[in-house]
Formats: sequence, structure tokens, C-alpha cells
Amino acid sequence: MSSETFQITPKEKKMMQNKIVQVWRFIVLNLKILKAVDHSKRS
Amino acid sequence: MAKVVLIGAGFAGQTAALYLGKALGKDHDITVINKYDIFGYTPSWVWVGVGQMAPEKTVFKLKPVYDKFHIRFVQGTAKSVYVDDQYVLVDKADGGEEQVPYDYLIIATGARLNFAGTPGLGPHDGYTTSICSLPHAVDARDKFFQLMERMEKGEKVKIVVGTGHPGSTCQGAAFEYITNIHKVLLKRGLRDKADLMWLSNEPALGDFGVRGVHIKRHGKLIGSDEFIRAIFDLYDIRWQVQTGVRKVEPGKIYWENYEGVEGETEFDYAMLIPQFLGPGFTYYDKDGNDVTSKLANKGGFVLVDAIYGLPWDEMAHRPEAWPAVYQNPTYKNIFAAGIAFAPPGPISRPFTNPNGLSITAAPPRTGMISGIIGRVVALNIIDLIKRGRMTHSERMTEMFAACIASMGDSLWDGSAATIVIYPVVPDHRTYPNEEGRDLFVTDMEMGLAGAWMKRMIHSTFMHKLQGRIGWQLIPE
Repeated sequence: MSSETFQITPKEKKMMQNKIVQVWRFIVLNLKILKAVDHSKRS
Repeated sequence: MAKVVLIGAGFAGQTAALYLGKALGKDHDITVINKYDIFGYTPSWVWVGVGQMAPEKTVFKLKPVYDKFHIRFVQGTAKSVYVDDQYVLVDKADGGEEQVPYDYLIIATGARLNFAGTPGLGPHDGYTTSICSLPHAVDARDKFFQLMERMEKGEKVKIVVGTGHPGSTCQGAAFEYITNIHKVLLKRGLRDKADLMWLSNEPALGDFGVRGVHIKRHGKLIGSDEFIRAIFDLYDIRWQVQTGVRKVEPGKIYWENYEGVEGETEFDYAMLIPQFLGPGFTYYDKDGNDVTSKLANKGGFVLVDAIYGLPWDEMAHRPEAWPAVYQNPTYKNIFAAGIAFAPPGPISRPFTNPNGLSITAAPPRTGMISGIIGRVVALNIIDLIKRGRMTHSERMTEMFAACIASMGDSLWDGSAATIVIYPVVPDHRTYPNEEGRDLFVTDMEMGLAGAWMKRMIHSTFMHKLQGRIGWQLIPE
């Protein structure tokens, strides 16, 4: 599988420490884990 | 009254013990056999190893938890299992032997660290450090501090982190260790004094023994190889993959790569993950015959309901090759959970170099995966005792895992690379994309949110595994 070259740009570095963006990413990460857990618990 | 015995109190054993204790503790005999009287939260030993967390914050006493759940605790080392007479022979910590009888046995011992598999590896008889046990992590921390003292005097040093055997696993923990070393050195103003190098048996950077991860972001396909490479570029960490470490001497690591080329890498400080082996018990039948071959493979891992011996390309496309209930096919009252079970093969593509050396990342089965298997096995034993049949199953092709590699522990300006993988083993039937994974759940990113996740998971797991209020609501 080929993939585009990925670089961490100065803009992305800023976003990584932006508290509002990171609160959103924290919520998204938890939602993703809950989706996987939901399947797991039903087995 | 049924007798259930668990050997081991790590993620798998402790999770299973809580479920069994809650459901059966008052009416049946539940016994846990463990070498130590504490539970150790393995993922945070990375922080212990760089002096960012006190060792005592990663452990708790087992006995008070077991008392609450009506579980008997035997501190000692299980030596052998008598499969027909149904008892485990234990060398007790306070002296003497004990025969612990069982109707159902769960083997959840975790990994046996095979430092002897690589001459010169490890903190005891070798020249490298390890974060695979708490004493090892404390030793790694002390040696790292000594190294920093040398750096403070102006010495430039070489630090190597990665895998110490061609068949090692747990690359995620090693990755986390090297990024934490970078952060600590940066904070101490010593980063320019260290040459940091990643040395690993992975087929590609970011493989982590799970065939890597690909995600789509802003219409672009990003692979974990690109992601990890970008982090290493950012942190100025050199890297070398497709490499099997063969031997370590003071200040020198000897290796072979995919091409069969032999080489050496110099170091002042190295943390290399050893090969993991299974429990390595001897199993006896009623006549005293050694029946170990019916219960364990050559590495000592317990044989379960997997399909063994398939060619890798076939296994990679057959989810049913992975075990569902973790039950030994010959002795059906024996189960294995966590690292102790024998997987049907590696998740990452295996490779043998022209010299005949297999350089293959073993499949990770730690942390969340171990916890999930512990739960499935416990619920099935509860089923067998109460209903006479099992109703739970979960293959690694159905499990999720999160690898959160912290880079600094601050909740204000820390960071972590978060890789969420679902399922752990690609399943091309359920997810008919090239990745064989759920592309909504599977993700990787770097940022402060990961540092929050890492801290949250430490706190919630320590809460859960002590059986505190609401423990069952916290997923494994």
C-alpha cells in the first residue's frame, strides 16, 4: 500500500498543543474507543 | 463447589480474578497463584524507567483486593501441572511446596523474559537495561541518571533503544521509552549531548508487530511508517529496522539484517526488549508421563483453540485461525489468557534472511488484549459452572487496542502519539479494504490529547484492577 509522505508541519505542531483542538481530539479518541469496546462487550 | 485456579496476576489474571470473584467467590473456591504479592501496572514502567513516575505509583497489594472478592491467594511460583490429577505444584514464597487442586485452570503468567536468548542482553548478566519488570525499570532509571551525570560533565553519548532479539515483540513500549528519553534530555538541556537511535526487528518503521496501520486524513493515505518517521525526524532520532540483534558486548550490539549483512552498533546506554517466552511449566499425566507437548509449543506458550501450522499468507486471510475461547483442545478445563497463549503465527509478515535467521516481530498480546482475553475466559468458566456451556468468544481479529506513546507526562504541555487499532489482527472478510480494519476507529495522531488519554488510562486501570466501585464499567 503506498502512502503520501507525511510531515509534521509547524501549523500541525501548534494544533497539537492548542487546548480547544485537543479537547475535541480527546472526545473523538474516546468515542472511537467506545465504539470498539461496544463491539467487544457484545461478544 | 467448583475450584478455579489462576496462575498469574497481571492484566489477564487480575481481570479474570475480579470477574470470577464477583460471580463465584462466595460459593466456589477461587485461588490465585502469583510469584509476587503486588500487581504491577506495566505500561507506566516506561515513566519509571526515565524517572518520571515513582515506582510505588504503579503497584498495589493483591491480598486486600482478593479478600474483598473472596479469593484465596497463594504467593509462590507454579512449577508443574498435573493435568489428570488436576492440581498445580507450587513453590511457596514462604518455603515449602503446596498442591493446589483445580477443576478449571487459567494460565495467565505473562511473559518469561528470555535474556539468555541473546548473549549479553539484559540487566543481570548482560550490558543492556530493560523496562519489562519493575526492578528492571528502576535499574534502567538509575543507569539513565548515571548517564545524564556524565552528559552534564560534557560527555557525548550514544543511546540505543529497540528490540534485543530477532523475534522480540512490544516495540510500542520501546518506542515510548525512546521518545520519553528525548523529552527528558530536552528538559534537562542535554539533548545535544546524545545520539539517539532506534534499532528494531520490525519489517518497517511503525509496524509494531501488527503489520502497521494506515489511515486516511484530508484525502491522503498516511501509513504508520510515515507517521513514526515524521516523529523521529522531528526528534532527531536515527533508526534502523529489519534488524535482529544476535549478541551484546560492553558498548557494542552485534546484529544481522534482512540482507544477511552482519554489523555492529556502539552504545553507552541501551534498552532492548528481550524475546518473550511462555510459562514453561512441565505438565504430567496420571502416570507421571511428561505430556507438555500436548499443552505447550516449543516456546512454552499454551496451545489453545487456534489453527496452528498454516502458511502465513493463508493464516493472514483466515480470522478463524485465531483462538476464540482460549481453551486447550486436549485438556478442556485448561485455559490460557494474555501472553501465555500460543498465537497461530505472527501478525506481521515473517522474514528469513539468506543466513537462515528468522527476523520476525512476534504479535503483541499485552495490556488491553490481555485484559479482554482474561474477561472472556473468566466469563466462560462462570458459564461452564453455572450453565454447562460457554457463551463468550473474542478473537484478536475482533479486539481493539490503543498504543499511547507518551512524550512527556505534563497534562499542560505534554504530548503523546496515540494509535488506535481495530481490529488488532486485520480481518479482510469483515473489513474488505486493503487494511482489513475499521477505518473509523483505526487512527493515529499526536498531541496533548494523547497525554490526557495516557494519564486517564493509567488512573482508570489502576482503579478497575483494584476492584473499586464501578470497576466493571471500565472497559478492559
